[in-house]
Amino acid sequence: MAEGIWTEKYRPVSFLEVVGQEEIVKRVKALTNSMNIPHMLFAGPAGTGKSTLAFIVVRDLYGENWRENYLELNASDERGIQIVREKVKNFARTKSLGEVPFKVIFLDEADALTPEAQQALRRTMENYSSTCRFILSCNYSSKIIDPIQSRCAIFRFKLLEKKDVEKIINKIAENEKLNVKTEAINVLYEGCEGDCRKCINLLQATASVSPLISAELVSTILSSAKPKDIKIVLDYALAGEFESSREKLLDIMLKESISGQDVIKAIQKEIWALPVEPTIKVKLTEKTGEAEFRIVEGSDPFIQLQALLASFVLAGLGKE
Amino acid sequence: MPWAEKHRPKLFSELKGQEEAIRKIVDFTKNFNSEKSKKALLLHGAPGVGKTTLAYVLANELNFEIFELNASDFRSREKLNEILRPAIEQQSFSKKSKIILIDEVDGISAYNDFGGLPELIYLIKNTNYPIIITANQIWDRKFNDLRTNSEMVKMKDVDYKTIKSLLIDILRKEGKFIDEKTLTEIAVKSRGDIRAAINDIQTESGVKSEEKIPIAERNKETDIFNSLKVVFKGNPKNETLEVFDSVNMELDEIMLWIEKNIPSEYKGEELARAFDLLSRADVFKGRIYKQQYWRFLLYENIFLSYGISASKNPRRVQGNGFTTYKRPDRILKIWMNNKRTEKQKSIAKKYAKYTHIGEKRAMRDFPVIKVILKNPEAQKEIKLNEEEIEYLMK
Repeated sequence: MAEGIWTEKYRPVSFLEVVGQEEIVKRVKALTNSMNIPHMLFAGPAGTGKSTLAFIVVRDLYGENWRENYLELNASDERGIQIVREKVKNFARTKSLGEVPFKVIFLDEADALTPEAQQALRRTMENYSSTCRFILSCNYSSKIIDPIQSRCAIFRFKLLEKKDVEKIINKIAENEKLNVKTEAINVLYEGCEGDCRKCINLLQATASVSPLISAELVSTILSSAKPKDIKIVLDYALAGEFESSREKLLDIMLKESISGQDVIKAIQKEIWALPVEPTIKVKLTEKTGEAEFRIVEGSDPFIQLQALLASFVLAGLGKE
Repeated sequence: MPWAEKHRPKLFSELKGQEEAIRKIVDFTKNFNSEKSKKALLLHGAPGVGKTTLAYVLANELNFEIFELNASDFRSREKLNEILRPAIEQQSFSKKSKIILIDEVDGISAYNDFGGLPELIYLIKNTNYPIIITANQIWDRKFNDLRTNSEMVKMKDVDYKTIKSLLIDILRKEGKFIDEKTLTEIAVKSRGDIRAAINDIQTESGVKSEEKIPIAERNKETDIFNSLKVVFKGNPKNETLEVFDSVNMELDEIMLWIEKNIPSEYKGEELARAFDLLSRADVFKGRIYKQQYWRFLLYENIFLSYGISASKNPRRVQGNGFTTYKRPDRILKIWMNNKRTEKQKSIAKKYAKYTHIGEKRAMRDFPVIKVILKNPEAQKEIKLNEEEIEYLMK
């Protein structure tokens, strides 16, 4: 039994235990009861219960024998579709044991696959459709090619609502003997942005400091986890210190292993707190959007970020 | 003696553009026998790119003995046993450590009566010495098992500029001369096959041995410093477009030099303009990769040369001052950081597997995960080893 990591300890193992997503749970449960599920696509933000629900389906179908009949893959970890196909092939080669005539493959973060790779996946799904059901998960269903979407029953997961988050926190608090202040719940909810995993992690990290969970303590933990130094990067740039600025940026990106897109997100938020004219804020936001666009198109995010910093240097001179 | 043999590189430093493959193969050899490492390394890449050479250079640099087999040895089990048994089981006579090299595995048949490939897999599973396998094409279905049982390392395709400079080097050592145009033609025609290109110049130079103009005089390579000076300090001219053609460096690397040095030459608006062009060049580079549409290279080159040169204020007095250009260090920093974060990666990997999330997400959430994993119970659950625990606790 998992004890040390709360996201696992408190992961629901039956339909009954799931908090939120009521509609989806009802429909998926009905499908599972019929013992014949279609391929399914679980779309929605991180930490809203996609993997958990897939796991519950499997437990429900196979009971004790779920391990032999369930393969879990993460598309963003596997090096290329070849590897995915290889694993699927090996898994699907043998027939399932027991009364359910198929096995289940859960492919997490399927939107990490390129459209070409998804085409290959589609063929794999077809080849093994007699012996396997696929449950795909993704953040955005728009990134999944149409032929796959049309072969799946699509379920759209929503961010957790405040009442759901509250319910989860209270349950854990009771079990772990924590004293969670009402304001702390607010901070946890805002900090986790509807992401249940993030919420529980944040709660556990805070609880590892003290069982008395106050709003201040949660905020401290929360801010230590954010790339707050982005502000320093922008300050350097606005002061015309381009080289210090880009050096600091590289430093942050490497140390905290954050992607170019994450940096863009942080910069975009930071702009509103900068001591510059409103027109310049708009201009800088436009530049930031352009940089994000070029990161997607280009090959080297750091070059795009440097170009953006150069715009901030100009803004600092009052020229843009 | 064929020049291709005579001038075969002996040192890592002589293998141009293969840093990644070198790093991987060295790591593989050094980590051999550690619990998680695979016992064979599958070195693949286009013909003549230097796969066998890399194996021999590795042996030379690390002072290993090489024991070479090729596909034809896998035609009969008796023959294979006869050759191999002493090699796998005994210490080598000279007490050097050993590498087993299986060259050109493409030639092994999957279906002959003897079953060469299963035999090879068996060999991999039972060897006491690192096995290096070379192959041109590894995506054939028959290599499925081989791929899962080996670590795969791809050798990069070699571009024609690199080949050309290699050829010039060899000609210089041989005291032979081939005119620039023919040389370029040979380099381009070789399509990355270094061996073929060297064979070509050996033939070519034999034909025209009466011409004896030393190559060194003809060699008008401007180095990167001079070309950066032309771009940054000179007025943009049509010749500026060709300034990087003669630099013995790939455009990707030139780009890093430009990136590093823009701030030492341009300030304010000039800086912003130059970086905007660098950024546009990178966008085209991305499009080339994604669409394999090589004509976009043209735009990349124009932005980097003329474009960056034209970013300076036209009314600015042209300083002819001397600037020491700095060597780009970003790639090195990334590499060093990767070394540093290896522990973090291995922890994140275990955590990710245990909690059913992607490794990348685990890396992103590491600041919070780190706090949670200070709990000994959690450490035990995801089976961290002592080193990883030490890393978390410090």
